[in-house]
Amino acid sequence: MPRSVARLTSITLATLFAFASTSTITACDNKAIDAGGDSTITQVSRALNTEGRGVVADRYTAELWVVGNVAYTTTWGSRTVDGVRSVGNAIKIWNVAGATPALVDSVIVSDATTLGDIQATDDEKLLVVATEFAPGSIVVYDIANPLKPQLVSRFSSANTAPGVHTATAAVVNGKLYAFLCVDPGVDQPAKLVIVDFSNASAPVEVFSQAMGNPFVHDVFVRDGILMVALWNDGMSIFDIGGGGAGGTISNPKQLGNVKTVGGKVHNVWWFRDNANGTKRFAFVGEEGPGSIGSTSVGDIHVVDVSDLTNPHEVSFYNVPAAGTHNFSVDEDRGVLFAAYYNGGVRAINVRGDIGRCDATVKSDDGRCDLKKMGREVGHALTDTGIAVFIWGVFSIGTKLYASDMLNGLWRIETVQ
Amino acid sequence: MFSGLGDRPSASGYRRPIFLLLIFQAVPAGAVAQSSIGAQVMGIVTRASPAIANRNLTEGYLTQPMLMGSVSTADGHFALEGMLDLEGLTLERGELDAGISGEGYVDRRHPHTYLHELVATATGAFAATRYSAALGKGFVPFGTDDPMVRPFEKYPINHHISQIVERLLATVAVRNGPFLIEGALFNGDEPESPSDLPNSNRLWDSWSARTTLLPTSYLEMQGSVARVKSPELAAGGGLDQRKVSISARAESAASMDSRDAHYYVLAEWARSSDYDGRDRAFSFNAALAEGELSRGRVALAGRFERTERPEEERLANPFRTKRPATDFNILGRTLWNITSARASVRTFQRGTMTFTPFVEVEASHVTARATGSVFNPRAFYGSNTLWSTTVGVSFAVGMIHRRAGQYGAASRESGEMSMAGM
Repeated sequence: MPRSVARLTSITLATLFAFASTSTITACDNKAIDAGGDSTITQVSRALNTEGRGVVADRYTAELWVVGNVAYTTTWGSRTVDGVRSVGNAIKIWNVAGATPALVDSVIVSDATTLGDIQATDDEKLLVVATEFAPGSIVVYDIANPLKPQLVSRFSSANTAPGVHTATAAVVNGKLYAFLCVDPGVDQPAKLVIVDFSNASAPVEVFSQAMGNPFVHDVFVRDGILMVALWNDGMSIFDIGGGGAGGTISNPKQLGNVKTVGGKVHNVWWFRDNANGTKRFAFVGEEGPGSIGSTSVGDIHVVDVSDLTNPHEVSFYNVPAAGTHNFSVDEDRGVLFAAYYNGGVRAINVRGDIGRCDATVKSDDGRCDLKKMGREVGHALTDTGIAVFIWGVFSIGTKLYASDMLNGLWRIETVQ
Repeated sequence: MFSGLGDRPSASGYRRPIFLLLIFQAVPAGAVAQSSIGAQVMGIVTRASPAIANRNLTEGYLTQPMLMGSVSTADGHFALEGMLDLEGLTLERGELDAGISGEGYVDRRHPHTYLHELVATATGAFAATRYSAALGKGFVPFGTDDPMVRPFEKYPINHHISQIVERLLATVAVRNGPFLIEGALFNGDEPESPSDLPNSNRLWDSWSARTTLLPTSYLEMQGSVARVKSPELAAGGGLDQRKVSISARAESAASMDSRDAHYYVLAEWARSSDYDGRDRAFSFNAALAEGELSRGRVALAGRFERTERPEEERLANPFRTKRPATDFNILGRTLWNITSARASVRTFQRGTMTFTPFVEVEASHVTARATGSVFNPRAFYGSNTLWSTTVGVSFAVGMIHRRAGQYGAASRESGEMSMAGM
């Protein structure tokens, strides 16, 4: 998703590190996690420096978003500490100006047990939070003062009743919308609901359709194209105004679908390489069955979407004994940061043709193995001395923030 | 044993459930040679200590309110068995039962569906071989008897590992001498509410097979396997289950003299594994041994169970979990060691009507199975040891099903039903 502040900062840093990037293609001594100008040369994964951790002990931490020097983390499920059971109804607000995130405030969302997703709008004026379980909703805050979110509205409908798993705010043809992935309920399938947010104080539902088998977990919106994570039904691509197929927000037209290996499509990021403007690849996160806090499974799948009507998987990335969750891509540096639950955080060079490789680094089914290609350029939170379970990451400038279900919020430096 | 109308007081004095009336009307009167009807209910008070967060809870229920009946033709070739379970009316919040989980309830037993069983069976014989086919909603031929027809009021927590119930099924059974083989196709989806019916798009997507050896009239041993498609996601697409069960069961022959001693023992082991395609994701084991000895009006029973269960994300109500779930993750596994004891005294009997007060005590010890799990039993419950005491009275009248899910050729020649009080 576009992030103006992140992009400006990254562009500046990319310029600063241009020399390093082009002169350290072999990258053993690369000081920046940066794809550089070439994409086919093996790089070495180096440990990224963990700067600090803001502790959350009363609840399990979930998704995060960062606006300038303020970070927001949500909470999940229920946690019992010293006999006190707290559910995931809190938004934690952090000052992340220093190396160690400092908790400054929190907001309690009523009638919620999990806040699975949080996102600021592109203009950084609004904060959108998804609530689970029944009654599912999205809650919108004004963040003119980022440290003091003010409630603007709360939207729910019969279609969102089972619970809103994720909410993605995006501008399509000049209007702000929220894309809600709704949990399946008893006798009702999972749904995608689109809400017109032009007037944030009075959101209007403009689209609803059952989709996902059995879940729809996340979407990615860019340039009038909607990509939807449909679990066993793979990832579908819709024209919602930018695909030239006549699709609109209220009447999306499906352009293509891909069923990635293993299914369980959980999240999507359509990568725009700001170095050349190409949008050839989408990254698909697979979330397999795991045990929260200890085990996880699932790969990152790279889908060639150069033809939106014929998306196809070309490569993958695997971490043994760990599974991926949410992504954040630094599109200026060409680096995909992936939360990897018990596997910490991984940084992957995604610049260039990552769908082409030698036979020696292909899997049996013909896909390129990014790990064998030396595409992993960094890792973090793999040897903290304590168990971690990383839900999400957020890249801004040279900093990477990681939300840890067990421990809180980490700040990581990606340049040494 | 199947008992004809002549074996018990006329059923005309009992209020028959509507569905049984319909059944009787559907079968030509002259063709019906045997029929039975019965009812049972228990009034109980359970104290759980601690139940959750170091708090004790004391609650009362009307549990296992059942109406049951059967009809069969004169030649015994066709039979119809049914059970109505009214727990949906009396147990909506669930019954305190530390360690149990399933169908959106945790540490409370869920109410079963109103239509617990309605199965039509056709039975034939060729020489010494009996064979049958059954169709309807009922008990899948897998594992051991439903806990409802066993001594303890509190269900063991292996219920969803060791039995598969309330499915629309088609079964075949073949028995020759001591050998019995059963197979079934059924819908994999678990019920989602007491009024839920099997999903039409899930019919016959799962199967089971059970082999039973019956070397004597009092001993039986079974081994069974099942493949259950997406039981926890009724719409389909969830993790599949592969189940296996072995058990040995012995019970003394039913006696018409209630002063005779009677014993029952069961030992079972079962495993239920969740599969993502061909990859095993989780596996849960259960072992259980129980027995009851009765003489005259007094019965004493004991049970030990060692069962693993998945921990799932709980809702604001800590006794409920999200159904359907939102992904395939669990919060870890816990291991439960549960020791139970029961004493009961049949204090009143008139005809087939009985009142049997009882007391049950359980001690459950729970530990996390894997390090790093976000579910910490001690933090959640306030202790690793949970006590439960239940006092109650069981009321029964008419013919009570003592064995569940043994249709046609699979039915035991004795002990399948008993008159209340016998």
